[in-house]
Amino acid sequence: MAEKILIIDDEEQIADAYKEFLTSLGYQVDCAQEVEEAETLLAHFSYSVVITDLRLSKLEFGGLNLVKHIRELSLKTRIIVVTGYGWPELKAEASAHQVDAFVNKPIRLSELAKTVGSFTGRA
Amino acid sequence: MSLLDTILDPSRLSVRFQPVFLVRGESNQVDCLEALIRGPRRSNFERADILFDYVRRKKAEPVVDRSCVVAICDAVLNLPTEMRINVNVHAATLGHKAGFVDFFESQTKRRGLRTDRFTIEIVEHAPSCNIPELMDGITALRDLGVRIALDDVGLGQSNYRMMLDCHPEYFKLDAYFVRGLYADPKRRAVVESVATLARALGSSVVGEGVESDQDLAQLGRMGIELVQANILCPAMPFEDLVAKGIVPGEISTSPHLLQAGKSPHPQAFDLKPAELLSWAARRPS
Repeated sequence: MAEKILIIDDEEQIADAYKEFLTSLGYQVDCAQEVEEAETLLAHFSYSVVITDLRLSKLEFGGLNLVKHIRELSLKTRIIVVTGYGWPELKAEASAHQVDAFVNKPIRLSELAKTVGSFTGRA
Repeated sequence: MSLLDTILDPSRLSVRFQPVFLVRGESNQVDCLEALIRGPRRSNFERADILFDYVRRKKAEPVVDRSCVVAICDAVLNLPTEMRINVNVHAATLGHKAGFVDFFESQTKRRGLRTDRFTIEIVEHAPSCNIPELMDGITALRDLGVRIALDDVGLGQSNYRMMLDCHPEYFKLDAYFVRGLYADPKRRAVVESVATLARALGSSVVGEGVESDQDLAQLGRMGIELVQANILCPAMPFEDLVAKGIVPGEISTSPHLLQAGKSPHPQAFDLKPAELLSWAARRPS
């Protein structure tokens, strides 16, 4: 069965681009544009990998709270944070919640595939 | 467009109907149809549990309930005029000052639908609910001839206080208590107590989520004649209910059916047991 991936980004076009690409690689991909939508999907489905932006739902770093939430739900889910903010303090806080990878925007799709693949055994 | 915006567009919602059967001995009748909302097609939110989980996280029950009412009223236009319909509404919506009842009345009137065909099923997941305003909403609905059902009885907020305050015509007993009823004396004790309480309060009990013939028979022995179950008929578009012979498809305008009934089951449709069982046997496993 294809690994399930959740993409969380409030920019619909970006999320759709990631989804189309990762789906073409054989992953089963869901998208959420906001925190509540992501929390709902996380409550009902189990994801191998979550790719999340940090700035969500007009909250400056709503994705960081979501990262905490994901970790409370599961220690197995691999979390990839994608953000335009490369601040060390932010990375440190995200790392404290066991983020598995921290990737700066803009990200190349090939790099995204490589990062995801490293967590799903497809690298 | 956000997901909530999508949900607030009634044209993106679809409506399924699941019959509530009156099972009395060898006779099965469709008592009414519960209208069940499905989210945007080919999305994760097509599943109702996921859709409404999201709605509750957004605390958007009052606005989404209105969208659902619009979608349901449009769908009910295609149903026979004597068919009674159950609609789920959050207690938070009924207890909201923004006037759900006025909205409900305007939507039904706009389409020429009789309000006394409707039963509002009160669902509640939030711990707090404005009871005085909820009571005002219920009173206004009853003034329109609408009946009240309390959903998910036995769980969460569908508690003794709600039974007393809402005085529902129907207790919809949650599937948790019904599944495995036949083999579990403790479940039977709980269900028996609910049935006794309902009788004392002048209400009828609907057993939800029946999954076996033994549990169905056990409910009957306990005097619970109204049941809703996928083993009898899952939720589906109305056209499919007609195609399978579960409900009649023609529009009836018989004058006596246009009068508001006061008996518990005044407009039930006859459905021969053989037809029901025959169809049920063909259902997908």
